[in-house]
Amino acid sequence: MNTAYINNNPYSFNAGESILAFVKRIEGNKIIPTLCDAPNLDPFGSCRVCSVEVALEKNGQTKTVASCHTPVTNGLYIYHNTEAIRQLRKNIIELVLTDHPLTCLTCEVNGNCELQEVAARVGITEVRYPEGANHLNRAKDLSHPYMRSELSKCINCYRCVRACDEVQGEMVLTMAGRGFDAHIAKSFNQSFFESDCVSCGACSQACPTSAISDVFQSKSIQATQKTRTVCTYCGVGCNLEVATVGGKIKSIQAPYDAEVNGGHTCLKGRYAFKFYDHPERLRTPLIKRNKKFEPATWEEAYDFIATQLTHIKNENGPDAIAGISSARTPNEENYLMQKFIRAVIGTNNIDCCARVCHSPTALGMQKTFGTGAATNSIEELEYTDCIFVIGANPSNAHPVTGAKLKQKLMKGITGIVVDPRKTDLAKYATYHLQLRPGTNVALLNMMLYYIISEGLEDKEFITSRCEGYEEMKAEILKLNINELEEITGVNKNLVREASIAYAKANAAMEFHGLGVTEHTQGTYTVQLIADLAMITGNIGKKGAGVNPLRGQNNVQGAADMGAQPHQGAGYLDVTNAEINHRYNQFYGAKVPSHIGYKIPEMFDAALNGKLKAMWIIGEDVVQTDPNTQKVMKALESLDLLVVSELFMTETAKLATIVLPASSFLEKEGTFTNGERRIQRVQKVVEPIEGTKPDGQIIVEIMRKMGYEQCDYTAENMLNEISQIVPFFAGVKWNELGKNGKQWPVLPNGTDTKMLHTKEFTRGKGKFFFYPFKESNEIKTYEKDYPYIITTNRELEHYNCGAMTRRTGNVEIVTEDVLLINPIDAQENKIKDGELVCVESPRGKVDIKAKITNEVKLGVLSSTFHFPEIMLNNITSNEHDSEAMCPEYKVVSCRIRKSKGKHLTH
Amino acid sequence: MAIFSYFYSENLSCMSKNLSELSGRKGLTNNLFEKMGDAAKETGTPSEERLNELSEEFLIGKASTYGTTTFYDFTKPENKNKKVYICNGSACVCAGTQQKVKETLLKQFTENEIGHMTCLGRCYENSAFHYQGKNFSGQDMLHFKKENLIQNNLLNYNIKATTPLLTIPYSGFENHYALLKKALNQTPDELLSEIKKSNLRGRGGAGFPMGFKWEACKNENNNTKFIICNADEGDPGAYSDRYLLEQRPHSVLFGMMVAGYITGAEWGVLYIRAEYPEAANIVQQAIDELKANNLLGKNINHSNFNFDFKIIKAQGAYICGEETALINSIEGQRPEVRTRPPFPTQMGLFNKPTVVNNVETLAAVYSIIKNGGADYAKLGTEKSKGTKLVCLDSFFNHPGIYEVEMGTPLSFVINELGGGFKIPVKAMQIGGPLGGIVPLEKINELSIDFESFAKQGFLLGHASVVCIPTDFPMMKYLEHLFEFAAYESCGKCFPCRLGTKRGHELTQKALNENYKIDRALFADLLNTLQQGSLCAHGGGIPLPVRNALHYFNKELKMYFN
Ligand SMILES: Cc1cc2nc3c(=O)[nH]c(=O)nc-3n(C[C@H](O)[C@H](O)[C@H](O)COP(=O)(O)O)c2cc1C
Ligand code: SF4
Ligand code: SF4
Ligand code: SF4
Ligand code: SF4
Ligand code: FES
Repeated sequence: MNTAYINNNPYSFNAGESILAFVKRIEGNKIIPTLCDAPNLDPFGSCRVCSVEVALEKNGQTKTVASCHTPVTNGLYIYHNTEAIRQLRKNIIELVLTDHPLTCLTCEVNGNCELQEVAARVGITEVRYPEGANHLNRAKDLSHPYMRSELSKCINCYRCVRACDEVQGEMVLTMAGRGFDAHIAKSFNQSFFESDCVSCGACSQACPTSAISDVFQSKSIQATQKTRTVCTYCGVGCNLEVATVGGKIKSIQAPYDAEVNGGHTCLKGRYAFKFYDHPERLRTPLIKRNKKFEPATWEEAYDFIATQLTHIKNENGPDAIAGISSARTPNEENYLMQKFIRAVIGTNNIDCCARVCHSPTALGMQKTFGTGAATNSIEELEYTDCIFVIGANPSNAHPVTGAKLKQKLMKGITGIVVDPRKTDLAKYATYHLQLRPGTNVALLNMMLYYIISEGLEDKEFITSRCEGYEEMKAEILKLNINELEEITGVNKNLVREASIAYAKANAAMEFHGLGVTEHTQGTYTVQLIADLAMITGNIGKKGAGVNPLRGQNNVQGAADMGAQPHQGAGYLDVTNAEINHRYNQFYGAKVPSHIGYKIPEMFDAALNGKLKAMWIIGEDVVQTDPNTQKVMKALESLDLLVVSELFMTETAKLATIVLPASSFLEKEGTFTNGERRIQRVQKVVEPIEGTKPDGQIIVEIMRKMGYEQCDYTAENMLNEISQIVPFFAGVKWNELGKNGKQWPVLPNGTDTKMLHTKEFTRGKGKFFFYPFKESNEIKTYEKDYPYIITTNRELEHYNCGAMTRRTGNVEIVTEDVLLINPIDAQENKIKDGELVCVESPRGKVDIKAKITNEVKLGVLSSTFHFPEIMLNNITSNEHDSEAMCPEYKVVSCRIRKSKGKHLTH
Repeated sequence: MAIFSYFYSENLSCMSKNLSELSGRKGLTNNLFEKMGDAAKETGTPSEERLNELSEEFLIGKASTYGTTTFYDFTKPENKNKKVYICNGSACVCAGTQQKVKETLLKQFTENEIGHMTCLGRCYENSAFHYQGKNFSGQDMLHFKKENLIQNNLLNYNIKATTPLLTIPYSGFENHYALLKKALNQTPDELLSEIKKSNLRGRGGAGFPMGFKWEACKNENNNTKFIICNADEGDPGAYSDRYLLEQRPHSVLFGMMVAGYITGAEWGVLYIRAEYPEAANIVQQAIDELKANNLLGKNINHSNFNFDFKIIKAQGAYICGEETALINSIEGQRPEVRTRPPFPTQMGLFNKPTVVNNVETLAAVYSIIKNGGADYAKLGTEKSKGTKLVCLDSFFNHPGIYEVEMGTPLSFVINELGGGFKIPVKAMQIGGPLGGIVPLEKINELSIDFESFAKQGFLLGHASVVCIPTDFPMMKYLEHLFEFAAYESCGKCFPCRLGTKRGHELTQKALNENYKIDRALFADLLNTLQQGSLCAHGGGIPLPVRNALHYFNKELKMYFN
């Protein structure tokens, strides 16, 4: 039926397929030259070099069409290489060369320039036109730490404009002028630095010439090797293609065939890699003697640690020792760390930074669904017709997913954003429910109320797949909506409309971040989100689900691997006798069956003398955990603090011994992204001299302390993990391929895109009801500290900033700032850019004000990327009641114009 | 073009879907493009501050508003402080009147305050210029004082018809719209079948059957649809749309309402070029009259039919006459041509199904509804039905607009209606700048219809006639054509952006320097433009050039080797 002819040979085509795609599929990728076409952009039709002849009958009268945007039709005869077509292509390129510098030999993309290649392929030997007007004298734009343009090389293919629009959604680039004068402009005809560019690099990767490029010359062919690996920053898990020259990293691009990021990244993944060989990298173990660090050999360091740990264990028992594993490191290393703590030390005192971010998600979803992980996959955005984002600002914190969400919202898909701030997504959403920080539970209860009272529940789904519904319903219907309206500060009609939109969608997809979890009612909020998904049947179908945006790149994996005190590898309950038996057998050691300390409990235990030693891997708890002064005191009271780090962080400064670790670029393993996708991290360069991968360090210490552990390789470790973690059963290093596998991976190797399709992991999905409860922070301090400060993230920096502050990113965002509403600013006589003293019951900090409507009256917002500010000096002691995740999002404070006394440094 | 029909394929669409959607959120009542135009009014170009405000309001990039305003003659930064605009359209250029206009205006304006507009639709008397939203032409210049504007006569040309349908006298509001009320009693299907029976083909240039277009739009399943009247009559030499807008506005509006009723569209947009300020005022008055008579809005005449109009004033760019560029323009995007499919009937204004029709095509609907499609189809030739307006420029003894039945011999129009040429003429460019150059010897072989022109290697187009006087060097005319083509190229596709410029440079060089154009290179250039261009702008320019090379080889060969 669907038959078309290429050079008179019949082939079947797919509905909607362009002639270009069709011919490429049949005859190979390079058969038709193109210039304006790009793998991740819509066809555009500007270059016309993809022209082919088509006829309605064999050798019939032909017509020339551009193949990239012309669909194949039944019975079409396509001739893509006739004399006329060859001539046409050549003539077009000849015209292009009348306005292009012929300086290929000194061009950074020489050898990898699409224009050069197409020109060679069509056989250009001369340009016959007399010299005419041209644009060869355009100045280079060197303003930006990363982005570069040299528009005399521009061929006006619009690929950069389209990338900025269709991929990143930023619309920084445009064509300006018309006809021959048409030229690329940035924002209001500004330089890259002055423009609104977010440095994602999509334009640079899309540009077929060197007209837009980057400081790393990522399109040059100097690279001697290219290695595919996974970004170490956020839980999106973008694939990166890292180019190296002689063992040094040159540049990074995004592979187009990556399922996660299809040719896109944010600036962290693409450009923020120069920390890796930064002069400040730690290059030797350091032991603190007389308050001063002294270099030591690895052997000395191992001896020191083993001796001290053994001593403390013998003196104070294994529970006097605790470990914090790192969600930035691979699964294999997390697995090893928890194994070390459990099997070698003999305690369950192991936790990771999931505690301070998504522990409530894991717990809440386990309680309701049975599995603490995203139910669906990001690619299902193609199937959703309602996007519900609560407590997340993915445009900054999960930029590639954020860009995908923005694309959908811009195109008019129903969007509901629940956030105290007017985030970028909130601007594009249909409904922005701008609630008071800390009132998520009240708002979600309102939504449940309206869905129930409007009769919009999915009764079929509820009865066949869930339990506990009637109990919840009864409680919900008792609620006083007006009171909740008052509490949240969101108009109830708006909530009602949004609830109806969510309930009526064919498939509604929920996303949440730390704005949900970092609250005293964090776990409850997650459970209510689950309620919403279940009540509307939005589980187990494409384009729906509950999808936490995991913060750190491997925070999913760290928990999967058992870096938490109540569950071992594979989320198995450490208190369960049968499981304890299994672990004992598997590890060949006696593993305790009582739950260990969570991170905040570790600090408390240290302060009251129960905890004597800690080993912290890749986590700057001093800068990033709440209530800095308390954390510092806790760490200072330990007998032994081992810190494995890349840099001398605020935490490392307090260590007894610092171990120089290798970065993700220097080792192998797997990261598990927020959609449960286990992807291969491959070694790009050898470890910086003097450093070792954490996995190797742990193995060596395990051996030192008398435990037999096989060598650290990703393959070895995965092999071991697959035997103990049920949902890793079929995971094999060699079978993960380019795009990894989403767990659960069955023993036969098949993976799982969507969870809970037929039934929930726990059998029936369970409804819970929780009433809103004001945080103690507010109840106690509201009167004296009337403002609420909430913490957030900047796109350019990552958490404590130890890495990003040592890259060009720091030239783009140079400091933490305080977002403040214009009216609040006026009342406190604070001008834009002035220092504000923010004081909470715990302490004071001075921050520069940025006056903006992004935050509501009475709400402030800031980041903690810079040690100069140490915002966590003021954050609170409150924690999620269930998972003990700290309440970073609600801090009572007062403000005044500052005289600048409270800068920490 | 009609032999290839495509099915709908959304993923092949090429404009910025995001910009279309975001602009569409505010739609027509709070229109981005209109706001940009307003912002340029004061100084000739919008301020950075204002553009940034618009970017924020519409949630688009600063680049998006900046990029758009740099496109149009009347919003681009270079337009700042321009006060008066002199026509540089083909008819005025051939008439040789514009140097005088400039000299006269220089007495009241500085050089910097004088800009250009391309064709003010005053081709019948030339000496055209524009000042403060008003057009002047012919003798106006002699009395022009910038402090004391004397309203000029809008109807300074002949209007005659052999078969009056479009030019038939207006019967008064009541009578005119009685027909609409009657039509609203019929079903959309019944009315559509009349349109189809009439075999009316589009008058905007491409000659596409109107019935098919409307049917395609009608069949789209969408609550929001648009009817756009393409009143961007950009062809220098053409002023028949201007005539209809100014003298028969209710015929145009009637046609749009019927289109809305048939297709299910509730909005009619008239995109009127900046060069026709009077037309926009008159149409607005006509719309107000409809409103006052309760014939707009919801549930018109209890028929469940909802309809409203919006006038969008263009800002000076020939390419906006091309329907997809026009749609981008209304959206406030850069008016670059979109690829097709999807066709506007599938995904047009704000990504919604949209009918774009020429003014004259829409005006023809009245007599079809009145007398039936079959009656209409009785007029004309086999493939060109009905009547056509022809515009004659000032080289004729009787310049003006003539309505003739399709198939009428060209010689009749020239000699009988136009009264022959005033001064010796060697050729006519018929159908706008992309239409053919018809030498005098071909007059007798042509009749006013699509087939006859196509068969002889010309183009009926919009049927404007611009004369090239005998003493006007053909090379100069070609240079003028290439200059126009290059100046008005949207710049999206490589062949046209570069090719029209190089064509202009070659002709200019040949005219002004001792330079001979290589024939092979020139032939390659024309082929590249014709086959390679995305739209009929770059694709169309080779036609008149080839005509000239063919018929005026003797005169032109000295420029080639
Ligand atoms: C370069 C170019 C300029 C055009 N200018 C006009 C114009 O000024 N007025 C017009 O009605 N159509 C113009 N068209 C044709 C339109 O694209 C479109 O075909 C027409 O508006 C459809 O209406 P119709 O079917 O009623 O003719 C132009 C086309 C091109 C390629
Ligand atoms: S780097 Fe990204 S945001 Fe900046 S101009 Fe390029 S595509 Fe746009
Ligand atoms: S800068 Fe590069 S991508 Fe952008 S239009 Fe020019 S050549 Fe194309
Ligand atoms: S979106 Fe996340 S994973 Fe992707 S490049 Fe940015 S930080 Fe890395
Ligand atoms: S042919 Fe010219 S006007 Fe048409 S799309 Fe190409 S550049 Fe634009
Ligand atoms: S690839 Fe088709 S026009 Fe450029």
